Amino acid sequence: MSLITIKGITKTYNPKKIPVHALRGIDLTIEEGEFTAIVGPSGSGKTTLLNIIGGLDRQTKGEILVDNVNISDLSDNKLIDFRKNKIGFVFQSYNLIPVFTAAENIGFIMLLQKKSKDEISKRVIELLKSVGIEEQKDKRPNQMSGGQQQRVAVARALASKPKFVLADEPTANLDSKSTSDLLDIMENLNRNEEITFVFSTHDQRVIDRAHRVVTIEDGKVISDVKIKN
Amino acid sequence: MILKIAWRNIWRNITRSLVVMGAIIIGIWSIIFLVGMVNGMIESYIDNAIKNEVSHIKIHHPEFIKDKESKFYISDIANVKASVDTISGVKAVSYKTITNTMISSSHAGRGISAIGVVPKDEVTVSGVSNHIIEGNYLTDTKKNQILISKRTAKKLKVKLRSKVVLTFQNLENEITMGAFRVVGLFETGNNIYDESVVFIRQKDINNLLGMNGYGHEVAILIDDLEYLDQIQKSIALQFPKLLVRNYKEVQPELALFQSQIKMVGIIYMVIFMLALIFGIINTMMMAVLERVRELGMLMSVGMNKGKVFMMIVIETLLLAIISAPVGLFLGYLSTSYFHKTGINLFFYSEEGMKQFGFDKFIYPNVPTETFWQLVVAVSLTALLGSLYPAWKAIRLRPVEAIRGSFTSEKTRIFSRITNYIQYKLFNSKS
Ligand SMILES: Nc1ncnc2c1ncn2[C@@H]1O[C@H](COP(=O)(O)OP(=O)(O)OP(=O)(O)O)[C@@H](O)[C@H]1O
Ligand SMILES: [Mg+2]
Repeated sequence: MSLITIKGITKTYNPKKIPVHALRGIDLTIEEGEFTAIVGPSGSGKTTLLNIIGGLDRQTKGEILVDNVNISDLSDNKLIDFRKNKIGFVFQSYNLIPVFTAAENIGFIMLLQKKSKDEISKRVIELLKSVGIEEQKDKRPNQMSGGQQQRVAVARALASKPKFVLADEPTANLDSKSTSDLLDIMENLNRNEEITFVFSTHDQRVIDRAHRVVTIEDGKVISDVKIKN
Repeated sequence: MILKIAWRNIWRNITRSLVVMGAIIIGIWSIIFLVGMVNGMIESYIDNAIKNEVSHIKIHHPEFIKDKESKFYISDIANVKASVDTISGVKAVSYKTITNTMISSSHAGRGISAIGVVPKDEVTVSGVSNHIIEGNYLTDTKKNQILISKRTAKKLKVKLRSKVVLTFQNLENEITMGAFRVVGLFETGNNIYDESVVFIRQKDINNLLGMNGYGHEVAILIDDLEYLDQIQKSIALQFPKLLVRNYKEVQPELALFQSQIKMVGIIYMVIFMLALIFGIINTMMMAVLERVRELGMLMSVGMNKGKVFMMIVIETLLLAIISAPVGLFLGYLSTSYFHKTGINLFFYSEEGMKQFGFDKFIYPNVPTETFWQLVVAVSLTALLGSLYPAWKAIRLRPVEAIRGSFTSEKTRIFSRITNYIQYKLFNSKS
């Protein structure tokens, strides 16, 4: 059973004024445990596709099943819960809560899930370790480097034990050292804890690390290559 | 958790939060002070009026108050006084004979009210004896003394120990005259009152009018205003043929003043709330616009709209909750300080204000209800002011918010309008 099944997805922005056809019919399946990169030039529709998979935006046409749920059928409120419980998000510009410390940022979604204090603090410590920022746990985002912030973001995305993690250009704002560190962390999590990662990028160094590379151009999949690691 | 974010968000842009909190503090403070001043001013006015002229309860012949004619007297007035004196809660009682007279010196003459008093009783009821600026108050022993105001003395060009002549019409409509010696000059601060009365002994005036034992007015002071109605009733029961009125009935404008104090406070509060609500909307709107990405992220990762809405509302309420007590405390502190020392408000126009019977010194006094009214007003304002920004926040669409591309034209225009109104309100207030 596939984790994500996409059938004939199209997305048209501004359908009434000047329509922008961001996606022109995408078919794609993603299995559990994948480490997949969505690549393509700027404006090719990567963000649009990830937003639709993540339930942040709705497609114009087509069908999408995530964990056997047709998310197009979900109401806005149900969709929020779905995102909270099933999906971990990592954004390009870190997007942490600036008034929270690293540890609080990581525990935040678990608080939304109404997990117990003990469970949260245990998991937060565990995650701080696995992304290698135990020392920064009481620092606020503005006291951390971009690479450290992005690790917090990955830890936060994992805190809720999601089905998969969606990351839209997670390394775009990072230098090459931080980029490869972050990819090490993500790859380890993928290998050791079998966490599914779907991330977009147009950075060749990142593409080289992916286990599967889906290339889209002008809203269409033009190649889909599996590289066994 | 929401509380935690909201709390920390306040300290994020300290300057902005301090501006709002400062506005709340200064607003509350100035309202307390203004209400205290107005209240203190009016209280002192009422107080003066009661002390010098009105007293708490007055007894008259029912016709007297219409015409002030001598023939509408209370016979055996000393007995009325004696029995009122026995009522519990009564502090002091005096009685007087009042008639119109012509006072003349060698230079001039004027029509005036002559008030015949029993000096030893009168000093317990009326405050005029405390306002003697030259000479002395009347004494019980000497004949034909007169007490006039400094202003009247000036008009008549007389001095202490000068002689003046009073001309009356007695009960038989005959003209009678008496020569009086000025033993004292008074100045109550109320110029209108000062120019309209002179004081002589009741014995002397009664002799001239040929109405021994009679009088026109009994004035009563009581211990506690709370029992005003009760005492008034029991007097009225004892003397069913006489007219018994309290100070509000004697001088209705005093009651009007008292009710106006409350209005003034409420008007200040409404102005303050209006100014504040635009300030709050504007500030919170800025806070929301500044955090579009962050709010988008919160909603993306699963924070629902209710929580986002509450977060903005709570953040606003916290601003009020922190600053309101400070404002209340400062208001309380400053008014109670000046309540003791008094404020010389009429530094520049002493004469002008005296004319209307106000004191030179104001002792601010804030009714307790002002404090809790302010608490309600500020909380309500903060709540109302937070609704629009909170609503704007939940209308953000996560996808767009994450891109940070949200500032609609409407929002920008709105923010400009609130800025303008805020500016206008604050500037017209000062
Ligand atoms: N909200 C929107 N309204 C209208 N057009 C949009 C909107 N969002 C994206 N587009 C357009 O849709 C197309 C796909 O955009 P998208 O952001 O998905 O590309 P991308 O591959 O993520 O590009 P980048 O590498 O620059 O992030 C682009 O032409 C873009 O201009
Ligand atoms: Mg993109």
